[in-house]
Amino acid sequence: MIRAGVRRAFRLALRRRDRWEREVEDEIKLHLSLRAEQLVAHGATRDDAYREAARRFGPLTESRARLLEAARHREQRMHRTEYLDDLRHDVSFAARSLGRQKGWTVVTILTLALGIGATTAVFSVVSTLLLHALPYPHADRIVFVDQQPSEGNGTGIKVTITPSGKVVRAWMQNARSFEALEGSSSGPRMLKTSGEPSALNTSDVFPSFADFAGQHALRGRMFTARDIENGGRVVALGESFWRERFGSDPTVIGKLITLDDTSYMIVGVMPSALGVAPSYGRRVRPPDLFLPLDVRDDKRGMSLMGRLRPGVTIDAATRELDSIFARSGGFTGGKIPFKTLISTPAQRVRMRDSLLLLTAAVGLVLLVACANVAHLLVARSAARQRELAIRAALGAGRWRLLRQLLTESLILAFLGAGCGIVLGWAGLHGLIALRPPGYDDIQAAHLNAITLWVAIGLATLSGIAFGVIGATQATRYSTHDTLKSSASSVSASGRRHRGRALLVVTEMALSAMLLVGATLLIRSVANLQRADLGFDPKGLYAVTLPWGGERVATPAPHTATTRELADRLRQLPGVRSAAIATVAPGSRYFTIGRLEIDGETPPPRGTTSFIDVNQVEPGFFGTMGIALVEGSTFSDTSTAARQVIINAGFARRHWGGASALGRRLRVAENDLSGKPEQPANSEPWLTIVGVAHDAATTGPGLESSAPMLYTPTAVAEARTVMVRTNGTAQALTPLAALLRTMGFRRTSRIESTEAFLARSLAAPRFITLVLGIFTGLALTLAGVGLYGVMAYTVTQQTREIGIRVALGASGSRIARGVLGRGTWLAVLGATIGLVAAMWATKMIENQLHGVTRSDPLSFVSGAIILVLVAVLACVVPTRRALAVDPMTAIRAD
Amino acid sequence: MSRLPVLKGTLDLLVLRALSWTPMHGFEIVSWLERAANASLEIEDSALYQAVYRLEERGLLQAEWGVTENNRRARYYKLTTAGRAHLRAETRNWIQYADTVTSILTATKTGAPSTAAT
Repeated sequence: MIRAGVRRAFRLALRRRDRWEREVEDEIKLHLSLRAEQLVAHGATRDDAYREAARRFGPLTESRARLLEAARHREQRMHRTEYLDDLRHDVSFAARSLGRQKGWTVVTILTLALGIGATTAVFSVVSTLLLHALPYPHADRIVFVDQQPSEGNGTGIKVTITPSGKVVRAWMQNARSFEALEGSSSGPRMLKTSGEPSALNTSDVFPSFADFAGQHALRGRMFTARDIENGGRVVALGESFWRERFGSDPTVIGKLITLDDTSYMIVGVMPSALGVAPSYGRRVRPPDLFLPLDVRDDKRGMSLMGRLRPGVTIDAATRELDSIFARSGGFTGGKIPFKTLISTPAQRVRMRDSLLLLTAAVGLVLLVACANVAHLLVARSAARQRELAIRAALGAGRWRLLRQLLTESLILAFLGAGCGIVLGWAGLHGLIALRPPGYDDIQAAHLNAITLWVAIGLATLSGIAFGVIGATQATRYSTHDTLKSSASSVSASGRRHRGRALLVVTEMALSAMLLVGATLLIRSVANLQRADLGFDPKGLYAVTLPWGGERVATPAPHTATTRELADRLRQLPGVRSAAIATVAPGSRYFTIGRLEIDGETPPPRGTTSFIDVNQVEPGFFGTMGIALVEGSTFSDTSTAARQVIINAGFARRHWGGASALGRRLRVAENDLSGKPEQPANSEPWLTIVGVAHDAATTGPGLESSAPMLYTPTAVAEARTVMVRTNGTAQALTPLAALLRTMGFRRTSRIESTEAFLARSLAAPRFITLVLGIFTGLALTLAGVGLYGVMAYTVTQQTREIGIRVALGASGSRIARGVLGRGTWLAVLGATIGLVAAMWATKMIENQLHGVTRSDPLSFVSGAIILVLVAVLACVVPTRRALAVDPMTAIRAD
Repeated sequence: MSRLPVLKGTLDLLVLRALSWTPMHGFEIVSWLERAANASLEIEDSALYQAVYRLEERGLLQAEWGVTENNRRARYYKLTTAGRAHLRAETRNWIQYADTVTSILTATKTGAPSTAAT
């Protein structure tokens, strides 16, 4: 019989299919001739013998086909078994070899899991908020349309204006860039019931909105243009409101409900899937009620959403809307007061910059993790070099070894990905739990299929990449050399060692970048929290009355209501003072026009600027706790007196150290419709009677020294009363009770200024916290990496250290050697990282307050922390080096 | 004596038995069976090869090319460990089965189960 090895060599020469087919033929042929010979021996003639042999074999064609089929089956099955056997062998071998070094395996899997977990968590949030489309057909072509002032906005914030019905009409009639334009306006309305009236979320939309969103009424119908012709007193219910309030009663169609004193007829029920996209964020919430929005109403502003025609760019659409606006408004000469601003849903996501920042940060963490895993594998393959060399010498092929190493890496990668997905899931829930108030959009984030595939793809890629790194490292050196040289020889590992040092330096550099960024943000948040607000938020509340809407004929009765409210508030227990204002903390109101100062050269005609204005009662400054730097509050609130109070920033800008009292200013206001300003001399001068301390009433992050004017409330439509309470929690109850007894038709709002300030800090704090966690992660990984390199170095140099100790080197000298090398790697990494950070901090520049992006303190402290981590990582290797016993070290091997 | 058809499944068992002493090629198995059964079994030769392939697929046989006494290349089959165990177990089953069936068929009327009629 032929030896198995020879047979195998033979087999490989033939193609598999040819081989077994021929074998079957051979077997049949042999059988027939042997049978014939047997029959001949028994006395049959040659011809008869062959005929009889064929007969006993069975019908030839059919039998052969059957046998070939059986053989094919057999071959497939055996091939599969062989393959599975090999695989099982590889896997069990890999598992055993990984299990032998449990510590190493755990560190590697954890490193991978941390990198993949952090990436998965952040990417889930980012993909939900930034990448997921609005729930409307052709969502990729849906954009939001706003207007913004063409010039003069020096406020540092983006000011957008919702277009008026008149403008929207012009666009709808003439624009070719859009398939559809949909206006909407959402807000609360009071539902009159037998008991206490309740506030409902309502959205006014065009009758075409349901079609735009691709939805149909569940019951009845959506309102139509005809309904608007007939007065528009119709309403469509949202599905969940219908189920909760009406118990899914199908007979509600045709019934009447009363909202804000007006009766509306229910015409239909719309499904929960029909929601109105909010101006910011992605959570499309279905309102309780839909009301018809009449595009012919000139006075109403509306949020505008549109679906672009296929192939139309945002630029082209913007140009078209601009030119239609210019034509319809009669603006000639290419100058329009408001420019069109078209934005995609992704551009309007709140915290977009922060989310992108976190994505970049988590990318750095993943890089650090990958670098760490790479050099863990390199270290391992170095340690196994002898094992691999022996196996190669015993006849294992290069491919066989490579496959073995790949199997190990893939097992690691998949275990890492598995743990990473669990960590990512936990991390995502952590992010959701930590979300700043008002950022509920994040709640919708979940581990989706894309994220999972990305994680698995990352794991597979890293597994293959690391496997190849390990394999090339392991097979690069000749078997002969490796076996000859001893494991503790220093010279052979020089090149590989440099590779690992490079990886550690990279990790250190990436960590340094993250450290600088995190330190900057932490300092910025600390600044925000410490910032001098210029007023006292403790126990301060803003009570804001609802707009009376179009039903209030003149401002007078409304102001009277506000006055009455303020008077009654003052009499409440726990209330120290109350003052009327037009603007509550957290809001801004600008006058847009040309500012002139008496005695200064007036700015050229056509100049516009935004100036913050708040119309207040004389007691406002006392109630807010805003100190007056100069002068006093209004002594005469009459229109004729024309008194004005400015903030300190304004005074400094115009008069420096000199007194601003008695100076005069005026603002030639632009008509909001965009008509050119009135002649300046028709506007009366206002006289400055006081200078108030700069107050950060718009929130701690915004410039409080921006020019601000306070004017008396006499002619204003003030709706807000600022209330200073004694700061106890009980003070709030009578406030709410009073508002209920006064019986306003719509919901009033009581807002705590402290809560507002806390809220405005929550988002930066959240981002800082998450970035801090990532930085900690990266630092830990880099520390582990450095530890690995140093521990390896010490092991490799055991003999050398032993000799040096034997020759009289002191302990401190040995320690300096190890620490010095570790620190040197860290310093090198930190230097590269800090240089990169000088450029990379551009990304967070607009999120910094009270600290510049090149803040030396942040850079220096980042470097110090990094070096401290490096020293910490070197402690154990150093102690191990000090513990080297010269006698054992030299004798070993 | 007329020839008996081979019951389904028993051919496998017979092949395994044939190979239980020594490895054989296909025609050797056929001849051995014919000798052992005194030519009283009706087996189509190709059916035997099918059975052999099936057994090989199940890992009960192992095949190897070898050379016959007359210097011809032939495929030799030998029993694997699994095949030997299978033969033992199936032989036991077969004998038990055959005994049971025999005892029922040859029993006197009083011993017949009353529920046998269906």
